[in-house]
Amino acid sequence: MTSYRLDAGGAINRAQALSFSFDGRNYKGLQGDTLASALLANDQMLMGRSFKYHRPRGPVTAGSSEPNALLTIGSGARSEPNARATTVELYQGLVAASQNRWPSLKHDIGAVNSLLSPFLGAGFYYKTFMWPAAFWEKLYEPLIRKAAGLGKLALEADPDRYEKAWAHCDLLVIGAGPAGLMAALVAGRAGLRVILADEGFRPGGSLLSESVSVAGLAAVDYAGGLVSELSSLPNVTLMPRTTVFGWYDDMVFGAVERVQKHVASPSPELPVERLWRIVAKRAILASGAEERPLVFGGNDKPGVMTATAARTYLNRYGVAVGGKVAVFTNGGSGYRTAADLAAKGVEVTAVIDARAQSADVAPAGIRVIRNAGVVATNGRHRIDGLLLERAGFEEVIGCDALAMSGGWSPIVHLMCQRGTKPVWSEESQAFLAPNVGNSFVAAGSAAGVETISECLRDGAAKAASLASELGFAAHGANLPDVEGEYDASFAPVWYVPGAKDKAFVDFQNDVAVSDLGAAQREGFRHIEHTKRYTTVGMATDQGKLGNVNTAGIVAAMRGVSPAEIGTTTFRPFYTPVSFGALAGAAQGEHGAPVRTSPLHGWAKKNGASFVEAGLWYRSAWFARDGEKNWRESVDREVLSVRANAGLCDVSTLGKIEIFGAGAAEFLDRIYCNGFLKLPVGKARYGLMLREDGIVFDDGTTSRLGEHHYVMTTTTAYATDVMTHMEFCAQTFWPELDVRFVSVSDQWAQMSLAGPKARIIMSRVVQDDLSDAAFPFLAARAVTLRGGLKARLFRISFSGELAYELAVPAGYGEAVADAIMEAGRDEGICAYGVEALNVLRIEKGFITHNELDGRTTADDVGLGRMMAMQKPDFIGKRLSTRFGLTAADRLQLVGLKPVEPEKQINAGAHLLKEAAKPSLANDQGFVSSACYSPALGSFIALAMLKSGRERVGERIVVWDALRGMEVPADVCAPVFVDAENAKLHV
Amino acid sequence: MTLHFLHRHVLEDHLAGFETRPNPNHVNVARRPVILSVLAHSGHEAAVAERLAELAGGSVRFCGPGEWLVAGPALLGEELADRLGEIPGASVCDQSDGKVLMAIGGPSARKILAKCVAADLHGDVFAEGQSANMLCCHVASNLARTGADLFEIIVPRSFAGSVFEELMEMGREYALTASFSED
Repeated sequence: MTSYRLDAGGAINRAQALSFSFDGRNYKGLQGDTLASALLANDQMLMGRSFKYHRPRGPVTAGSSEPNALLTIGSGARSEPNARATTVELYQGLVAASQNRWPSLKHDIGAVNSLLSPFLGAGFYYKTFMWPAAFWEKLYEPLIRKAAGLGKLALEADPDRYEKAWAHCDLLVIGAGPAGLMAALVAGRAGLRVILADEGFRPGGSLLSESVSVAGLAAVDYAGGLVSELSSLPNVTLMPRTTVFGWYDDMVFGAVERVQKHVASPSPELPVERLWRIVAKRAILASGAEERPLVFGGNDKPGVMTATAARTYLNRYGVAVGGKVAVFTNGGSGYRTAADLAAKGVEVTAVIDARAQSADVAPAGIRVIRNAGVVATNGRHRIDGLLLERAGFEEVIGCDALAMSGGWSPIVHLMCQRGTKPVWSEESQAFLAPNVGNSFVAAGSAAGVETISECLRDGAAKAASLASELGFAAHGANLPDVEGEYDASFAPVWYVPGAKDKAFVDFQNDVAVSDLGAAQREGFRHIEHTKRYTTVGMATDQGKLGNVNTAGIVAAMRGVSPAEIGTTTFRPFYTPVSFGALAGAAQGEHGAPVRTSPLHGWAKKNGASFVEAGLWYRSAWFARDGEKNWRESVDREVLSVRANAGLCDVSTLGKIEIFGAGAAEFLDRIYCNGFLKLPVGKARYGLMLREDGIVFDDGTTSRLGEHHYVMTTTTAYATDVMTHMEFCAQTFWPELDVRFVSVSDQWAQMSLAGPKARIIMSRVVQDDLSDAAFPFLAARAVTLRGGLKARLFRISFSGELAYELAVPAGYGEAVADAIMEAGRDEGICAYGVEALNVLRIEKGFITHNELDGRTTADDVGLGRMMAMQKPDFIGKRLSTRFGLTAADRLQLVGLKPVEPEKQINAGAHLLKEAAKPSLANDQGFVSSACYSPALGSFIALAMLKSGRERVGERIVVWDALRGMEVPADVCAPVFVDAENAKLHV
Repeated sequence: MTLHFLHRHVLEDHLAGFETRPNPNHVNVARRPVILSVLAHSGHEAAVAERLAELAGGSVRFCGPGEWLVAGPALLGEELADRLGEIPGASVCDQSDGKVLMAIGGPSARKILAKCVAADLHGDVFAEGQSANMLCCHVASNLARTGADLFEIIVPRSFAGSVFEELMEMGREYALTASFSED
């Protein structure tokens, strides 16, 4: 028996056994265990294989910095790779599997890499797999990825739910160790809204694992007391199992709460993980300190772990990590571990102290070897001894575990995520938290404080100071007496010389000291370059254990202070966050909000197929029995509109209601054409430019009263136009009396187009709709038969006699039904945006296909709309600049293929006849194309260089994507009713 | 010929099949509320705000400087519009069909809304009677606190189905129910 569960002790529930499996074998653990502590209790030290060399590995920590014991938890779609066994909370039925090994963890073929390791150092891939170049992507990289790497993702869809939520507080305390608990308590008692978040499943931090007594109680019981008082305060929210992973602008912290990661079958009513955005007025970083590993030969073998880890397994989980434990230390932590182990009856073979002398005292009867270093470890799947070197004298010491302590590094990651670097302290021999202002301060060991009593004091003091800044009267807590503390000071030893095996600085990425040396030799000397060349501190580990040692070693190699080397960049996330948590509920059809028109139900029952237009679902076409494809439906709809009538949902257009005595002037400035003289009861087509003279959007605006207008915008630009108007009204012309509000959702709007539109509309509207009473561009309130108030606009996007009827949205479906009924005998049909598009191309009307952010009004043939006599309008000044008025600009033209059945595709480019197909010979492009059933030919709108003067020319439509070249004739961009005779009937 | 048109609530399909007995956490969807936009013209902002504060029969929601929504029961429809129309310097515009009003109430209402909006809804920060425009389930909405555990969300009609579905999803762990309310 090497590692085993002690008969007593530990913050575990010995009455509650939990069964679990690891690599198919069943084990028993206890409630309160982590997976790692339960495996150790079952003498399972080997938990993984390393990333590159496939070296056997066991846990080196007992917390979230664990680089080795990375396991896959769960099975099937719920399997999660790279979970740290040291933080996974044990539950009944947990299924765990090791990674990166084949065929088994014990016998891993990939371990051959270890034999090749002299050749596989940093830069090996770059230097070796260079030739031939094509092999990299096809052969080398896939092979390397197969050989290296950790767990594999499940490819099935994630069956679980995730959520995102916001929380707000006066004070966020990150970490529920002694400093954090005390800070939360002081702030909570003072009445602040406090959130106390801790990544562990049990609050307490080091109080759970240290053998001190606080206020006469065991530390763990004292922590329990603090937690129960905090739980009783209504203004304090305890968030266990919650990792604060990022610090963002405006004091927003990102955190992930593992709601159901500790249950075998998650409840469908709850998310498995919840992503929190925590908005805090102030925050305290009480994340503690990380014990540094010592860097010596063979320091990665199973059984070698930090002294704190050994102590935590012992005191918190009641697990002895070995039967014969050796300690290798440069400070007090090693001695404390030796004392705790000895007190529990675990044999300590030796305390090896790297220092020549110290005040630390080992327990009676334990051999202390000073001024010595470990240079190698023996054993494969677990160490069975170590090789010690002391002034040239080598000695083998038998042991089955080695607790190492290389000093302390405050965990300052979060505080350094927004660009501020940690500060090297010669005195503490550590990188300390930088000053990032008064809103976010470090407390306890995160601030470099060493003992539990000082952590309690520091937490209380920092919280009291922040509370009073926020205007709360905080009374310092009664700080308890702490007995049995130890001196945690240390003398740094960056590298133990004489290593007879690889000495690792980064266990997870298999980076050894020799790799750091190679990086320096080969010129990758900046710490960021060293990182990229060697992969030190990369991936999920982010250098939690290794980065400070790396800085120290590189500094030593260069003969400078670590202050000169500095650290690499800290970025979110502190520990890995699942994509599920980041996505929250935004999965599948909930990926984006869905917008439905008031006529959605009407369209559905008329057989519509829908197309996504932004967030909208628009009816695209209405298939009827016997129609084999969408084109057949669209052709029928177009012909039906041209011959009889059709009804189309145009509710998605933006609608803005405009009020005020200055509205006319406002519109006159925002549109390039004139609006001052638009009479009440009339609609006008308007063209908006951007400041740079390029067309922004178009639509109609109708004057409903002296100081009352309603504007329509395109569907896509509804929000942009509203924003643009707000900006203009608020900043350019605050003197104009104009107010506006979006009414896009208030109205169901439908276009009834076709020669029979008037007959049909008259059956629904009771007002006189004769051409005399309601002429082209009339726009006013009408009353439907039955009394419903509506708005009617005689505007047309098809070139046919057409009306747009707007009714309150809730009546939309009923009114559309009534129009269809009224038009049944006239041959009415429902038509969708595809037919709408064909109708407008036939008529040469433009959309954002043409108004693509590059075209001027003149380019699209609307130059005459620019009312240059107006004193000013948006876009006037810049529209005259050179380049926007050049004669060879692309201009809107029509295209007809020489052979009518030859298809032209939008996006195809234009070439002069007989020109070689190349972009150098590019003459323009097709902006819109369709089959015109009215003409029996494909037709297109296109932007052609100096297009207007080239009507009649034969050109070639070159569609390189589809490998098509179609000869076509340039024509005016109107294919139907060029005289507008149909509009004025 | 007289035509009779049926008015249809956009959440009709979404609410079909829900249990009729409300749980402690419940969403009431107003079937036919009257909702009006009120816009104060330049220089009249304070005066309009004052008149709105005295308004009887409607609940006033702040949207932005010089802009409010006034919500009231259907019965008051015309009357409310007339009353508002009389305020000098204000323009009024009907939004009753363009907006959907959902009232969410219950002991967990705030916890549910914490998953829908980013704003701090603590009573000290967002007190009864307060309202503001904010994103709710990714959609521009107006949220008002109408009671200690009672909030009203006004969302654009076209987005209502999407917001409603997400709200109910976020309420799952608190057994949130929903129904139409006739008042």
